[in-house]
Amino acid sequence: MGDGSGSRWSRAEWVQQYDLLGKIGEGTYGLVFLARTKSPVGTPSKSIAIKKFKQSKDGDGVSPTAIREIMLLREITHENVVKLVNVHINHADMSLYLAFDYAEHDLYEIIRHHRDKLNHSINQYTVKSLLWQLLNGLSYLHSNWMIHRDLKPSNILVMGEGEEHGVVKIADFGLARIYQAPLKPLSDNGVVVTIWYRAPELLLGAKHYTSAVDMWAMGCIFAELLTLKPLFQGAEVKATSNPFQLDQLDKIFKVLGHPTLEKWPSLASLPHWQQDVQHIQGHKYDNAGLYNVVHLSPKSPAYDLLSKMLEYDPRKRLTAAQALEHEYFKIEPLPGRNALVPCQLGEKIVNYPTRPVDTTTDLEGTTNLPPSQTVNAVSGSMPGPHGSNRSVPRPMNVVGMQRLPPQAMAAYNLSSQAAMGDGMNPGDISKHRGVPQAHQPQQLRRKEQMGMPGYPAQQKSRRL
Amino acid sequence: MAANFWTSSHYKHLLDQEDVDMVNPLDKEKGITLEDFKLIKMHMANYILKLAQQVKVRQRVVATAITYMRRVYTRKSMTEYDPRLVAPTCLYLASKAEESTVQARLLVFYIKKLYTDDKYRYEIKDILEMEMKILEALNYYLVVYHPYRSLSPLLQDAGLNDLNMTQLTWGFVNDTYKMDLILVHPPHLIALACIYIASVLREKDTTAWFEELRVDMNVVKNISMEILDFYESNRMFTDERINSALQKLSLRP
Repeated sequence: MGDGSGSRWSRAEWVQQYDLLGKIGEGTYGLVFLARTKSPVGTPSKSIAIKKFKQSKDGDGVSPTAIREIMLLREITHENVVKLVNVHINHADMSLYLAFDYAEHDLYEIIRHHRDKLNHSINQYTVKSLLWQLLNGLSYLHSNWMIHRDLKPSNILVMGEGEEHGVVKIADFGLARIYQAPLKPLSDNGVVVTIWYRAPELLLGAKHYTSAVDMWAMGCIFAELLTLKPLFQGAEVKATSNPFQLDQLDKIFKVLGHPTLEKWPSLASLPHWQQDVQHIQGHKYDNAGLYNVVHLSPKSPAYDLLSKMLEYDPRKRLTAAQALEHEYFKIEPLPGRNALVPCQLGEKIVNYPTRPVDTTTDLEGTTNLPPSQTVNAVSGSMPGPHGSNRSVPRPMNVVGMQRLPPQAMAAYNLSSQAAMGDGMNPGDISKHRGVPQAHQPQQLRRKEQMGMPGYPAQQKSRRL
Repeated sequence: MAANFWTSSHYKHLLDQEDVDMVNPLDKEKGITLEDFKLIKMHMANYILKLAQQVKVRQRVVATAITYMRRVYTRKSMTEYDPRLVAPTCLYLASKAEESTVQARLLVFYIKKLYTDDKYRYEIKDILEMEMKILEALNYYLVVYHPYRSLSPLLQDAGLNDLNMTQLTWGFVNDTYKMDLILVHPPHLIALACIYIASVLREKDTTAWFEELRVDMNVVKNISMEILDFYESNRMFTDERINSALQKLSLRP
């Protein structure tokens, strides 16, 4: 996996594997490009998103964000987690490129499209399918001792046309971490999780993460899928590494009421609790009621699931595995693998917009057309399936709708996890040992309470 | 990281001893013997430890760095990848992987403080370039499981978790990184071998406890013997011999 030589991108060997279509995004880490694999005639090419990492700000080599993302994604394989296809290095400018399977949509764009263009809510089937798949991926991550730490709509991708149409992919593992007790204090890493999706224990200065921070973010995302607007839209304070986020807490308390020591016993031990006592508890929070905000009946399974995800006490908060078993997913409409197909056969298909592609930017980030690309002389667009004006929605073929009855859920879950860890066996390291079967000759046999993390004989609680 | 060692890349890429002991043809041309090869790797493990003590990173970072260094030399030659640059770069990369990032300039500062020999004196640019080469050499597999992780629960289960035994076994685990054990054996078996040696030394009867575990005691005893053999031959690892081995790398074939 990975290689790279040549001073300009056009001369780097690995670039020859792809047809570059253009830039599709940028962030603090660097740029993202859309490319297609070059395939022999008759075999389909694949769309690939290539993420170029900037050098660390302090000129300190490969960014720790990139290292973390590579490290984790090389170990995991799951249908609902984005797949790292390749890693490339350009030694000349010391840049690093990660190649992922390309996903045409993300929840941020889907929500925005419904709110700003269609002006109507996302259908129940789509909400339920998106949520179920998202929880399925998250449950896999948590069972593999990983916390994502930055779940938000823009980091949740949805596949476009093709065999994985409508499949959810959790992406952006730049802030993810492996959690083996004891975790390093939060303050050592700087605060993570975009503020609107940040769990109250983090806002109140908790020093250690648990997987429950991801479940709070999931609750916020679920509510946003239902209402098309962020549930807790606070203004961020950026004074220090972990400032007291008064406005964000205020937004949460207005909806959920003020937490009490009775409901959340460890509350008093949180560093910012005293500031909370001074600044917030004096306010009267007439509990608006979550059900009023999300327009759900308090007796509905959807409301029950949401309220359990937004439990103040992280130890009482629902886990991803528990959420998958919730009644909400067992009633009609049942969730399916293609989240984008309409609920009823007569229902209108939503044509979500595709990502705009800046065809003038090359892999160096400079704005000129790459020499290896030919421009369509008539329309001025790039050749191939991503041609024409990319900001205009294109119709989507409806793939045969797949629904999952409750008893099939477990099978879906197992089959999607069966390939774990086997996804990217490198070409040049031979496998000296296959993955052992149920009984390991070298495995410790007994005593569940021994708690050897990482070894299969023991079941260890995922909450720290 | 896979929750389960058995499904991790670490497990899948465990090697047989003969693969680990294969001297690269380019190094053979320089006259590097298997003994030289082992000596240089041991010296570089010590170098990583010394450097780590200066920059104050935890033991886990040291262990990961040494593992990276040893993995690199199962695939690359010392002729092409100078150990004196690979060692600090592995520490640098491991510090990022283990979320304890050390700045390259700090490493360079302490390298210059530790060694007056010009052959060790690499600059920031060299470390940053080598970081990318090491990533490639490791094929971007950066997760490492260590014996430390299972040591405490095992000692507790065996009823040997007093301070004396804990320190002794921890010390043995530290010393296993002066060998290639981490590339060959699952980490919990290395931990068990260290407990076995410590219990024999401290005359603790752990026979029944070991019998209750579903592990191949022959493997545990073999690992224990390798550790004891290492201590036995450790006296012969003089600076003179290490310098002589490193000198061969500098020679043109």
